Amino acid sequence: MAPKTRSPAPAHRETQPTAAQPGTSPQKQMVQSSPNKPPYPSYDYTSKGVRDTSINKLASSDYQALAVVTLIALFVRVFRIYQPTQVVFDEVHFGGFASKYIKGKFFMDVHPPLAKLLLTLAGWLAGFDGEFDFKDIGKDYLEPGVPYVAMRMLPAIFGVMTVSAMFLALKVAGCRTFTATMGALLVVFENGLLTQSRLILLDSPLVIFTAMTAVSWMSFTNQHELGPSKAFKPAWWFWLAFSGLCLGATASVKWVGLFTIAWVGSLTALQLWVLLGDTRNVTARIWFKHLFARIFCLIVIPIAFYMAMFAIHFVCLVNPGDGDGFMSSEFQSTLNTKSMADVPADVAFGARVSLRHHNTQGGYLHSHQHMYPEGSKQQQITLYPHKDDNNMWLLENTTQPINWAIDPSGNTTIPGPMAWDKLDPEFITDGSVLRLYHINSDRRLHSHDVRPPVTEADWQQEVSAYGYEGFEGDANDYFRVEIVKSLSHGAAAKERVRTIETKFRLVHIMTGCALFSHKVKLPDWGFEQQEVTCAKQGTLPNSIWYIEQNAHPMLKEDSDKVNYRNPGFLGKFWELQKVMWVTNAGLVESHAWDSRPPSWPILRRGINFWGAAHRQIYLIGNPIIWWSSTAAIGLYVAFKGLSVLRWQRSCNDYQHDTFRRFDYEIGMTALGWAFHYFPFFLMDRQLFLHHYFPALFFAIMALSQIYDFVMFRVGRFGEGTFSLRGVKHLPAVGMVAGTLFLALSIVVFALYAPLAYGNQWTKSQCQRVKLFESWDWDCDNFPATYEQYELASTFPGSGAAAATSQAEHGPPPPIAEDPSKDVFVTGGPVPPPGGSITEEKIEYRDENGNLLDAEQVAALQGAVSFSTRYETRTRLVDEHGNELLNEIVGEDAGGYAGTSADGVDPGTANAKGEGQGSAAPPRVGVKEDVRKEKAVNDARATAEPESEEVVRETGRDEL
Amino acid sequence: MAAQDATTSALDAHGDARKRHVAGQPNGTFVPVIPRVPDEKEKAKHKTTSLLQTLDDYEFIIAPLIFTALAFFTRMWKIGLSPIVTWDEAHFGKFGSHYLKREFYFDVHPPLGKMLVGLSGLLAGYNGSFEFKSGETYPEELNYTYMRVFNSAFGALCIPLAYFTAKELHFKRPTVWLITAMVLCENSYTTISRFILLDSMLLFFTFTTVFTWAKFHNQRHDPFSPEWGFWLMMSGLSIGCVCSVKWVGMFGTALVGLYTIEDLWNKFGNLRMPKVELAAHVGFRVVGLIILPLMVYMFSFWIHFLILENSGPGDAQMSSLFQANLRGTEVGKDSPLEIALGSRATLKNMGYGGGLLHSHVQTFPEGSQQQQITCYHHKDANNDWFFYPNRDEPLFDPEAPLKFVGNGDTLRFVHAQTGRNLHSHQVSAPVTKSDYEVSCYGNTTVGDTKDHWIIEVVDDAASSDYSKIRTLTTAFRLKHADLGCYLRAGNVNLPQWGFKQIETTCVKVNKPRDVYTHWNVESHWNEKLPPGDPGSYKSPFLRDFVHLNVAMMTSNNALVPDPDKQDDLASAPWQWPLLNVGLRMCSWDDETVKYFLLGNPLVYWGSTASLGIFVAMLAWYLIRWQRGYDELTWAQVDHFHYSGIYPVIGWVLHYLPFLAMARVTYVHHYYPALYFAILCAGFIVDWYTRALPKRVQWTLFSVLYAAVVGLYWLFRAISFGMEGPNQQWSHLRWLEGWKMADE
Repeated sequence: MAPKTRSPAPAHRETQPTAAQPGTSPQKQMVQSSPNKPPYPSYDYTSKGVRDTSINKLASSDYQALAVVTLIALFVRVFRIYQPTQVVFDEVHFGGFASKYIKGKFFMDVHPPLAKLLLTLAGWLAGFDGEFDFKDIGKDYLEPGVPYVAMRMLPAIFGVMTVSAMFLALKVAGCRTFTATMGALLVVFENGLLTQSRLILLDSPLVIFTAMTAVSWMSFTNQHELGPSKAFKPAWWFWLAFSGLCLGATASVKWVGLFTIAWVGSLTALQLWVLLGDTRNVTARIWFKHLFARIFCLIVIPIAFYMAMFAIHFVCLVNPGDGDGFMSSEFQSTLNTKSMADVPADVAFGARVSLRHHNTQGGYLHSHQHMYPEGSKQQQITLYPHKDDNNMWLLENTTQPINWAIDPSGNTTIPGPMAWDKLDPEFITDGSVLRLYHINSDRRLHSHDVRPPVTEADWQQEVSAYGYEGFEGDANDYFRVEIVKSLSHGAAAKERVRTIETKFRLVHIMTGCALFSHKVKLPDWGFEQQEVTCAKQGTLPNSIWYIEQNAHPMLKEDSDKVNYRNPGFLGKFWELQKVMWVTNAGLVESHAWDSRPPSWPILRRGINFWGAAHRQIYLIGNPIIWWSSTAAIGLYVAFKGLSVLRWQRSCNDYQHDTFRRFDYEIGMTALGWAFHYFPFFLMDRQLFLHHYFPALFFAIMALSQIYDFVMFRVGRFGEGTFSLRGVKHLPAVGMVAGTLFLALSIVVFALYAPLAYGNQWTKSQCQRVKLFESWDWDCDNFPATYEQYELASTFPGSGAAAATSQAEHGPPPPIAEDPSKDVFVTGGPVPPPGGSITEEKIEYRDENGNLLDAEQVAALQGAVSFSTRYETRTRLVDEHGNELLNEIVGEDAGGYAGTSADGVDPGTANAKGEGQGSAAPPRVGVKEDVRKEKAVNDARATAEPESEEVVRETGRDEL
Repeated sequence: MAAQDATTSALDAHGDARKRHVAGQPNGTFVPVIPRVPDEKEKAKHKTTSLLQTLDDYEFIIAPLIFTALAFFTRMWKIGLSPIVTWDEAHFGKFGSHYLKREFYFDVHPPLGKMLVGLSGLLAGYNGSFEFKSGETYPEELNYTYMRVFNSAFGALCIPLAYFTAKELHFKRPTVWLITAMVLCENSYTTISRFILLDSMLLFFTFTTVFTWAKFHNQRHDPFSPEWGFWLMMSGLSIGCVCSVKWVGMFGTALVGLYTIEDLWNKFGNLRMPKVELAAHVGFRVVGLIILPLMVYMFSFWIHFLILENSGPGDAQMSSLFQANLRGTEVGKDSPLEIALGSRATLKNMGYGGGLLHSHVQTFPEGSQQQQITCYHHKDANNDWFFYPNRDEPLFDPEAPLKFVGNGDTLRFVHAQTGRNLHSHQVSAPVTKSDYEVSCYGNTTVGDTKDHWIIEVVDDAASSDYSKIRTLTTAFRLKHADLGCYLRAGNVNLPQWGFKQIETTCVKVNKPRDVYTHWNVESHWNEKLPPGDPGSYKSPFLRDFVHLNVAMMTSNNALVPDPDKQDDLASAPWQWPLLNVGLRMCSWDDETVKYFLLGNPLVYWGSTASLGIFVAMLAWYLIRWQRGYDELTWAQVDHFHYSGIYPVIGWVLHYLPFLAMARVTYVHHYYPALYFAILCAGFIVDWYTRALPKRVQWTLFSVLYAAVVGLYWLFRAISFGMEGPNQQWSHLRWLEGWKMADE
């Protein structure tokens, strides 16, 4: 001990204890060695006033309480989980991803794979075969037999676990069992968390992993604060490692997990700093042991977990799919059927090549038999993502080769583009000037001083295919190859053009511009393919091309071959991260239901998830819980501000254990809230209310903790004459207050529950609880009385009416928990249950949707390729067996014909009217407009999937 | 526990014991700071009269004089060599011309610097007639040399300021000289000061801000003394000026602001300070550092408006009422005062930088695919609208008696060129998806009630009678009769198909104070009404001031580079401290006198390295402090704090914001930050040479002086003008990005 202690006490002047930093819990004193030197800290890192709150030390009564709240949660979360029987909101995406996983089709999404893999697993275990595309909100699940209930059960179970996690988190934070129970029940009866965890969405997995991180991290913090005696003990290690694992899981669900990492990371930094100051217990060696333990558990484990998830992701997705277009050629070549046979390396005049654009994944330089409608009106040049004969170009020299065989004087040349086929290959080198001959259309790549079709910049000009068979061409067809040496691999590839290895620019000789392409799509006349221009000041990466296919008749079989380099797992992983980042940052377009962060804590607006048959699912929180949790955060901020001011004025607040613990414990939770809330302000991308949920979890926790302190722990508020005795000694007061608050929350929960469950509701009930205009669900959607729901199903016509939009509520599912409420049938004919009678029929249609008869089909057999599309249609049959045409029934369906015109009818055919109008002529007739308005009217308040959907490839060409 | 510690780290324990200091004993590793005053007195006692001693005694006057002379020489030598409009002279010379011609123009920068350019033109006898086209040769009558000299004086004066600032920061004499030499022999500072640009003024006022701040800080032990008050006011004045030149000055303001907050926070914690005194401290700083700079800033705008009294190219950015007050404008000329049915008028958005309600035959490519409605600054006939009665009323009859339009009336607006009605419906707007689209649809007979708009008067500058709408003065909102939404034109630009004009939507939320939903009539034609003079109402200065500033901010943020275009001049902020890129200021052919914007490599790399060293040093001392080594005295901590940390904060404040900016950035944006990096370099050299023997110190400093001056001399041609073929300087092309010579 002796060498460790400082010089004897008299030499030190302990400065006023108030100089302790606010917010740090350990016992800290400042020591000053001489008056002309600043004081330095000296403390023991063991925190005063902390007891061991390990989960394994919970009393049996705690376990009972935990079991009860979990059971309540289970009931509340799973209640009528089959409802609605249609695709809701972002199930469009996440259900769709599940089907792609099952089929192994590569897709691109901005979120990491863990939650999607789990959802897929749930679906797969329940027998989902991937043959359902989750294309639109409102698409029926029942008839195709999608095991959507099993898939929804996964988020629901996570939702239930979140409740248990809240209970445990509060216990670990040192709260009373009563408080923990109350906090957990607040999570149960939070409408927003409930809504989100009943559907196939990512937020429930995100919240549970965030919550588990909180539980494990707070457990670890507790162990840490107990001081050196607990350090490096099994419990300490377990919770540290488990925190790391949970962090990895959180970040593998959504990148929002990075905020959780930031929370844990900043607290870790604080802990390490405190450890550094404890010169009595922590030697340098021990300190580094602490450091490396944390580096391993909180950095290495999460990264390994995160990468492992992507490894599984790549293992699952082995086939090409609609995500290919985002990835580099090297990446794509690792997918089945996209891998390419080795290609001859050397490129010579006369070679048939396909040219690929380097920077965008737009594809191959392409031309087809369609003209530009404006500009030069010559043949179009585009970038086309798929392999196709129209991508093939023949590289001609500017002069035709001399035919020595016929004319030894060298005055006769071999005409035509095939002139080089019989000659020894002459390699194309850096600086070679060539012409690109489009084999299918006998035209050459051409550029001239005409503005491009879409980009009207004066430094770019149009590129076209120009000429005819036998045309000799002109000087505007000449392009010079300029090899970009820094991007070309291998010494040979820097000197002459080699397939794949050489990256080069094609500079137009006459105008000096370089062949260029960028992420700009041509309009319908260009089949939405990517624009190609010739740019004088284009950025370098967008002006680079390389050769992917290469063939020359005179190249021997055994000539040098190349192929794409296999990027390997790390290469693929890193590329995917970059693409995800760019795509995520690019989601800036506004969305009808998006909202900005300032509106979240005050619950200004929700999200319309789904609506049909006079029911609606609208994401909105429980206002009582929501607002009071925000108030709790506000209260802490006010407390902190005041206490910092008082600290600077040397008031002795921090010497009180309860005061210090309150500041530290709530501070930790409030920091978690801040880390999950404020970073959103920096994001330009579209944001939604559900992005607040992780923060909401922390806010509810802070609310419960403050309640616990105020009711059960603080003995006295304030000092001196203004002091107020706490209710610490009257626990009954606290319990009554908590119970009353909880009861109020449950009542409010019940009031808004129909929007969460998609239950029946009446207009008047709806209007009574719609407190603000900005809560924009539509009350007109609901009938005046509940009887009308039954009427709707009893009235013969209206049963069909409901079915017009693809059997909106469908028949009562067999697993209904409370059949008396759910069955619509009280007499009269029953519409045939959708799933029970299925007829199958094969129809042949052409690309315009015209039905083809067998003769036509036979004629086309072999000439065209057929693609199969599955479609489910509901055929309505009246009691006499006559088929009812959907349209007719739709017109005069009784019941709520009125509401279908302006009600919420998303996902129905009506909604598609929006934006599909033909190219409107300048003069619009009234009727057209009225019709359009009506269509638009119907589409109002339509639920839309969050547009995290990746841009779909437009793979259409006019072959 | 102790036993455990002893066993696990006995070595450590010994080490600790050795390092621990006994209280009261001086720290062996540090030479204590010797106070300067007794030192000088002691020297005076010797009464040596050698020349060296005289020089030593009068160093405080001799050194700055020499440095200033060199500064004026380097900044002005051969300044008129290039007779062509170089780089941004094209902008700032043109703005100077606008002041001379007194035409209103619009620019993203505040006016002070440009007014000084105008002043230099006035003094040079220039009449403002030259257009300052980039690369053009100056005409005979334009004394551009004089204008450049005027500008370069600001650049030259930075050198004595650097000298005195370094002194105020309590650096040793050799360090003071080093810092001054680094500023003097800085090629980029030299080059940028030699043209008609704002940067020399920006640098000058940045330097004065640091200087006055350091002066003020050194008065802290004598608060409320005249000198203390003087330097406080000078700081405020300097902040006001630097912000009035470019908004980059805000970063300097933030530095002084942070200092003030820290200072006041410490005073707040001082329990012995009476509350009245604390309040006085706060009050003085509010007056000196907030109110005074704001007054300076506003004053520069006031002068700006006063000078620019004629109509010019920047009119459209301002409110209609402001335009009407300009001489030679068409706005408000002979316009009838009150609007009646059948009037033809243009509608001006009253938002900051708002345009005129516009429509053209092009249609929306999505949504309703009806005719586009936008907001656009350019004045043409597509901005004209007829006020028509609504569809429930009889058709407009030109012969009928006049019916005036007032608050609460429901009307239609008919586009004069295409005859369509202003229309809205429940289609999402093309960009702002949460709003309704506004289109132009139908004609006088075809259409429905979705063409109806209700006028809601917000305010009228001329009268409190809202029963009539008046040209220019009435601000009103247009509420859609069916949907209840309000016509709004924000700051969102349409994509290329809408020609990047401003998106006009119908916003569902009713926010009466949202100025982007406010409109007024700008031009008004009605044959049946007598011409009036609505422009007789003055636009209040404060409103114009705010309006112009918000418009400046909006267009500053809109200076976003085209991602497809290769911009050889632009550079990314990360490149600046590394000096891996320069900038060609003019064309690079053999006939032109060429200037290349590139810094002194030693100054750049040295200062950047010193920033890194500083951060490591800070971490080192903090960690050691936390481990209980109290090796620094209060005096050293103070020196570290104010002469080290504050310059580094200054660098961070002047540099990091550029990383976050979306707008296009150039190398010269780094120059204010570079000054702080130089100060940091001085601090590092100063700190680590304190303990060295005098001889070693002088050797080290001599090498540094020689290197700085030598490199400046080596690269002199890029600052003083390169004549002839550029290949002559290919030996200077150390890095790929230093494109002073073609490859």
